[in-house]
Amino acid sequence: MAPNIRTESLTVSYRRTVVLRQISLEAVGGEVLALIGPSGCGKSTFLRALNRLVEETPGAHVTGRVFLGEMNIYSSAVDVTELRRRVGMVFQAPNPFPFSIFDNVAYGPRLRGVSDAAELRRIVERSLQEAALWDEVRGKLRRPALTLSGGQQQRLCIARALAVRPEVLLLDEPTAALDPVSTEKIEELVSNLRGRYTIVMVTHNLRQAARVSDRTAFFDDGSLVEVGLTRQIFTAPRDPRTEQYLTGRYFP
Amino acid sequence: MRERWREMMMTRLTWALSGAFVIMGLGLMASVLVGSWPILMAPHSLGRLLSPLWDPLQGQWGILPFIVGSSVVTLLALCLAVPFALASAISVSRMLPPVVRPHATRVLAALTAIPSVVFGWWGLQMVVPVVRNLGGGSGFSLLAAAIVLAVMLWPTLSFLFAEALQSVSPSYVDASLALGATPDQTLVRILIPCAMPQLINAFLVAVARGLGETMAVQMVIGGQVAMPQGLLSPGATLTTQLLTDAALYPPGTRGHAALDVMALALVAAMAILVRISARWRVGT
Repeated sequence: MAPNIRTESLTVSYRRTVVLRQISLEAVGGEVLALIGPSGCGKSTFLRALNRLVEETPGAHVTGRVFLGEMNIYSSAVDVTELRRRVGMVFQAPNPFPFSIFDNVAYGPRLRGVSDAAELRRIVERSLQEAALWDEVRGKLRRPALTLSGGQQQRLCIARALAVRPEVLLLDEPTAALDPVSTEKIEELVSNLRGRYTIVMVTHNLRQAARVSDRTAFFDDGSLVEVGLTRQIFTAPRDPRTEQYLTGRYFP
Repeated sequence: MRERWREMMMTRLTWALSGAFVIMGLGLMASVLVGSWPILMAPHSLGRLLSPLWDPLQGQWGILPFIVGSSVVTLLALCLAVPFALASAISVSRMLPPVVRPHATRVLAALTAIPSVVFGWWGLQMVVPVVRNLGGGSGFSLLAAAIVLAVMLWPTLSFLFAEALQSVSPSYVDASLALGATPDQTLVRILIPCAMPQLINAFLVAVARGLGETMAVQMVIGGQVAMPQGLLSPGATLTTQLLTDAALYPPGTRGHAALDVMALALVAAMAILVRISARWRVGT
């Protein structure tokens, strides 16, 4: 059962600039939560706070709490490595390593000491199937990942994230760099993954948010403006700023 | 009209100057080749050249001791310098606080500019006595030369290694960390493999610098033309022998031709390094 992920008064600043202010938001287990809002509003930082990747940025400072299930991920007892296994992430531009397809997917399991060839093959096949890429790459697993098309590369990155059996998937504008056909495949994939994983997805594509998400959160200038069921947000937003943004009349 | 004339002159000037560069390079090659011709074309030239005996009075021009000297000193220096340089590069590019990194990189770059004679001078005071006390003999030796050369190559190699590591896309590092890799795992499994072409090129630059270094090596190697019997024995390299004997043999003599052969060998070695480097061109 995919866990909830919940933030309480999450604030993130880089040096002296506050980029996220007091965000309290919950992604329900097994659902897709879409984050929308103007560029630079803090959506990506929010995502990177959920797997503590934000801490890798020099000068970043995080306060507040983030719960994965019942566990506060910012507590000092938490093993960041294990946290990041449970919370997978896919980035805006496809970034497969310059290795073979197989080695890309096997990267995470190998980090955890899986070295048995048959076991790795099984994990790679399962992950590629789950990411809807298996049929296109079977028999070509030794080819360099960078020979794949952009859309295939992004699905490979999803497979790579799935290979360590995460419970949560963070998708940071996963289709921003892709053509419409590839975008559609990724959206289809997200719909199929829903239920098994808790998915938090940043997107600039409002139709995409409407199509694939259960809930939508609207961010503006580092603050959470409103969150609700996607249908409600898109048909009857409570905050005038949300309505203006959705109808293309919002100029921050 | 005047505009066009000026533009045409600029083009011609550019062609002329770059053409001069090509002519100078070819001229250098030709003069070295022509100079070494008498020795290269003599009967059994290769066997005589590669003999371990350099004895001008007997007409023996074997350059093997110098080839051995150059190879051993350069190889040993690199074996010593690479681990230290890699460690420095990793510190500078990944481990130091991000605020300090650019300054540390600048310090490295500044260190690369220290004239080699300064390293030789330092080696004369510090390295030679230590080798003498620990290993016996005069202290002037292949080992002392290798140590001085290693210290001299250290900043250059560190700087180039750091550049190589910094050239790896941060998105790979993000992806690796997001999969739960530790910084160490990311370094060993992502950064170093992804930077490998640049790392190898940096290494080749260091090989070229080591082979070509003359002054720092000459000051501590002892300058002996006999085949070195071990790391602690004095010796000479192709470059140091060229330096010490340059004024000894006037053009047209056998000795001069022998020095031309040594210069040719150095040029050939560099050409081979450039070939290898091209094979490791970034992005292949």
